[in-house]
Amino acid sequence: MNANNPYVVETNALTKRFGARVAVDNVDLRIPAGSAFGYLGPNGAGKTTLIRMLLGLTSISSGSVQILGQPMPSGRAEALARVGAIVEEPRFHRHLTGRENLHIVAAAREREAHARVDGALDRVGLAKRADERVKAYSLGMRQRLGVARALLADPELLILDEPMNGLDPAGMEELRLMIRRLVGEGRTVVLSSHLLDEVEKTADAIAIVDQGHIVVQGSIDELTGRAATVIVATSDDLRAQALLTGHGAEPAEGGLRIPIADDNATAAINRLLVEAGLDVYRLEPERATLERRFLEITSRLGEAA
Amino acid sequence: MTVTALASSVPFRRPRLIRAEVLKLRKRRGLVLTAGLLTVGAMLVTYTILVSIHAANPAHHGPAGGIQNLGHTIWLIGTLGSVVGILIGATAGAGDLGAGVFRELVVTGRSRAALFAARIPGGLTVLFAFVGIAYALTASGSVAFAGSLPAPSVKLLVESGLWVLLTTGFWFAIGLGISSIVGSRTTTIATLLPFQLAISPILANIKILGSGRAALPVIATDNLLPNAFGDTARTTSVNPTLSAAVALLVLAGWACAILAAGLWRTRTRDA
Repeated sequence: MNANNPYVVETNALTKRFGARVAVDNVDLRIPAGSAFGYLGPNGAGKTTLIRMLLGLTSISSGSVQILGQPMPSGRAEALARVGAIVEEPRFHRHLTGRENLHIVAAAREREAHARVDGALDRVGLAKRADERVKAYSLGMRQRLGVARALLADPELLILDEPMNGLDPAGMEELRLMIRRLVGEGRTVVLSSHLLDEVEKTADAIAIVDQGHIVVQGSIDELTGRAATVIVATSDDLRAQALLTGHGAEPAEGGLRIPIADDNATAAINRLLVEAGLDVYRLEPERATLERRFLEITSRLGEAA
Repeated sequence: MTVTALASSVPFRRPRLIRAEVLKLRKRRGLVLTAGLLTVGAMLVTYTILVSIHAANPAHHGPAGGIQNLGHTIWLIGTLGSVVGILIGATAGAGDLGAGVFRELVVTGRSRAALFAARIPGGLTVLFAFVGIAYALTASGSVAFAGSLPAPSVKLLVESGLWVLLTTGFWFAIGLGISSIVGSRTTTIATLLPFQLAISPILANIKILGSGRAALPVIATDNLLPNAFGDTARTTSVNPTLSAAVALLVLAGWACAILAAGLWRTRTRDA
């Protein structure tokens, strides 16, 4: 990859049509290197179609794609050699063992990929079950084996389409930690998902897609915004509300909600309450969740339509 | 050593993609069992019967070996080996698609043409392991049990061995090409087996079709049989008669056209 290029994926006016239906509509996507990037959208929004176009699994109707600085499809072999991916549900030869399935895909990659098989299995916690046939695996195990297969590329870019599907809460937590470790190693991980909470916990930046086009993209902080209010709980909320009337305090679930202009305002509120002899149990910035932002954006689109 | 182990240990280093194809095929228990029964198993049963009935009543039943019995068993290997060729070809061509693994291979960046091309030597390695052992059995039996009958010459054994490989390899190629086009192992087998076993011999024997029958693979393969077998190994009445060069061209034409179509579909299909 070109060291001067801050993006591992760049698309320009990328479009995919199936007859009259436009599945991906003029998408300009920039995925920064070394980050966990969430690609969010409701079911049927065109997330998987876009991933399939990025990976050369389906043709592009118009527009252009660069992966790791390589134009697609001309630089496909060079680019995809350093890309690992799970597209939709990971699929395997069910009559082969987990280890054999990884060797099948390693055979299509560079020779060193075979030497990565054991490490990849160990990394996803399947080393002890690697010699069982895949048909005996649970959905969660297949999902983890899919991640192991994606790691055979020693990927600079890892694309995971709905990776949390089939995982129990412990499995989700493991995958979340693994993704953060991979990002810590300097890799880029793209998560396509409709599970907003999981993406918010894992990703540094996101794009929200709806009806084939990206409606917003940026860092989580940019999209959810800085806190505009704080929730305060004290030993006497009625007295606190009287003290903070000038700050616009009003009752809320679990205490009082107070608009703030900046962090200095939060400190001033705390000082006022303490100097008045009140015990402050809670003073919490209240941020918009990704879910709230997502619903705002998609419902606005729904109203516009 | 088992037949499948033999297939994976032939004494030269195959490229990794081809080894992967061999692994995928030889680990399919149903396919391996069927292939073994139809080739090695069929020869063992045939010679067991031929030897037994000769031993029980030598006056009525001649020796189990000799040229004529070799001709009969060559017909059997040609027919059943072609069935195995279709089964293995169909599995090699549509196995990755059926399992949903084709897209996982495509996202490695390896060219689709390379993925397709590896299926040919991979599948032939497995097919020829079975057919080769079956032929070795029948060739040995035809000499060992010849008794008072003339034993086949080395030249005839080599020619008939090459014919077996050509015939079974041809049907493997057709199975591979068709399954790569349609993307379904079941559809390919359900189409090709009736064509190869029933429709093709019937068409070959319909005289009104005249020289048009020269395009049928079964006519070409029958024309390529060693003359020493006479009619014993033939499926048809071999009419029209073709030169060896023309017969080979017919087989090569079919195989190349269908493999080219399979390659084109592999390169253009959505993965």
